[in-house]
Amino acid sequence: MLNGLNLQIREGEIIFILGTSGTGKSVLLKNLVGLLTPDEGEIWIDNEEVSKFSEEQYLPIRKKCGMVFQHPALFDSLSVYENVAFGLRRHYQLSEEVIHAKVTKALSLVNLHGVERKRPAQISYGMQKRVSLARTVALEPRILLFDEPTTGLDPVTTTAVNQLILDLSRELKTTSLVVSHDMNCALAIADRIVVLDKGSIVALGTPDDLKKSEHPLVKDFLAEVLEA
Amino acid sequence: MTTVISLLDQMGGTLMFLQKILRTIFFKKLKTHEIFEQIWKVTVDSFPTTAMAGFFVGAIMTVQFGLQLKEFGALGYLGALATSGTFREIGPLLIAFMLSGKVGAFTSAELGTMKVTEQIDAVRCLGADPLQEIIVPRFIGIIVASFFLLAAGLAMSVFGGILMGELFAGVNYEEYLRHVPLIVSPISILTGLVKCGTFALVLATICTYQGYTTFGGAKGVGRSVVTTAVTTMICIVVMDWMTSFIGDILLTIIRGYRP
Repeated sequence: MLNGLNLQIREGEIIFILGTSGTGKSVLLKNLVGLLTPDEGEIWIDNEEVSKFSEEQYLPIRKKCGMVFQHPALFDSLSVYENVAFGLRRHYQLSEEVIHAKVTKALSLVNLHGVERKRPAQISYGMQKRVSLARTVALEPRILLFDEPTTGLDPVTTTAVNQLILDLSRELKTTSLVVSHDMNCALAIADRIVVLDKGSIVALGTPDDLKKSEHPLVKDFLAEVLEA
Repeated sequence: MTTVISLLDQMGGTLMFLQKILRTIFFKKLKTHEIFEQIWKVTVDSFPTTAMAGFFVGAIMTVQFGLQLKEFGALGYLGALATSGTFREIGPLLIAFMLSGKVGAFTSAELGTMKVTEQIDAVRCLGADPLQEIIVPRFIGIIVASFFLLAAGLAMSVFGGILMGELFAGVNYEEYLRHVPLIVSPISILTGLVKCGTFALVLATICTYQGYTTFGGAKGVGRSVVTTAVTTMICIVVMDWMTSFIGDILLTIIRGYRP
């Protein structure tokens, strides 16, 4: 799926990964957290080559790399509160008071109030996506991986989520990798943008660099923004 | 050729998955609360179906044996023969089929949906082991619940047999049960239990494996459910033959050496 990909991500930057469907954007993110294993090549995170790590060795990596999935991926049998607390209970030994404080803070970050006792099936899809975001943010990871975080959300929530990515990056110095189709948003908040095609990087640079790109795929993405 | 390779691949994958499950059971902390929840869920959900199936199995066996025994004037053995046949063979087999259609398909669909909606990936990312959190409770739940359901199904089969004996052959319940201890030996009960455990192990392994390895969205979930249903049915029948065959050899050896 990915072919000859060479990408360095700097600490604290927001990097958007754009590309057409099936080009390997989600595969790239899943490789970083060990959900998929590359056939060959290396993945370095904080001076550690992690591509050959076992499931147990990946645990500390997953503690610092939080992932927000394309689907809300909430656990149906657990309440919203328990969903957000799930990672906190598994990754850390925390008291119930601390867990409560962290869950409440994470839910308020995504503008969700009074839904703690509800099951995922009892809230809207947009709210589920925000709970999913809260679940990842609650772990306070240093690196955040977003797989199409705003797909299926209304424009108001989309803006709020994009603002949240920006705030987390600027205030908490979180490094964010965002897989998206939304060039408009990428131009607004990304430090750098990567455009993938057939598993390879076809364009990489700041939003201003990309605006000057002559690559047809980049031009297509930019044309959509102009049309909008 | 491709089909053979694919079949071998599936068999190998399933056995390796079973090995991972067993390693998790023996070397990792079990989620006892989730396990009891699964045992309760499977037992309660499948109880009415299994009890009804058991009732009719007992009734059918009584009618069939009754037709033959009437000819020989041996209706006194009706209850014993019908019960023995049900306990040793038909009961565990039919209950396994019922569970395969109900619990197997449900578990496969549930796990498949969790896989395609990235819930299983999320469990891994949140620092937990999906085998420990999701698979093992369901695996143990299906196996333990199978024994409860077998007991309930067999009890209902005796009840169905008594009722049909009374209505169909004019054998009252005392006469029906009189020779049961003579023919239904501890070996008969052990045979039924071994078969039940084997079928449950096959069912639990296949349905969790198929669910866990689902890919390809809603279509993939459908494919996993169908594969689970077909594979478990075939494997249960094969295991039935195998347990009967091995059991027969073992009994011959034991009896042969017995003074």
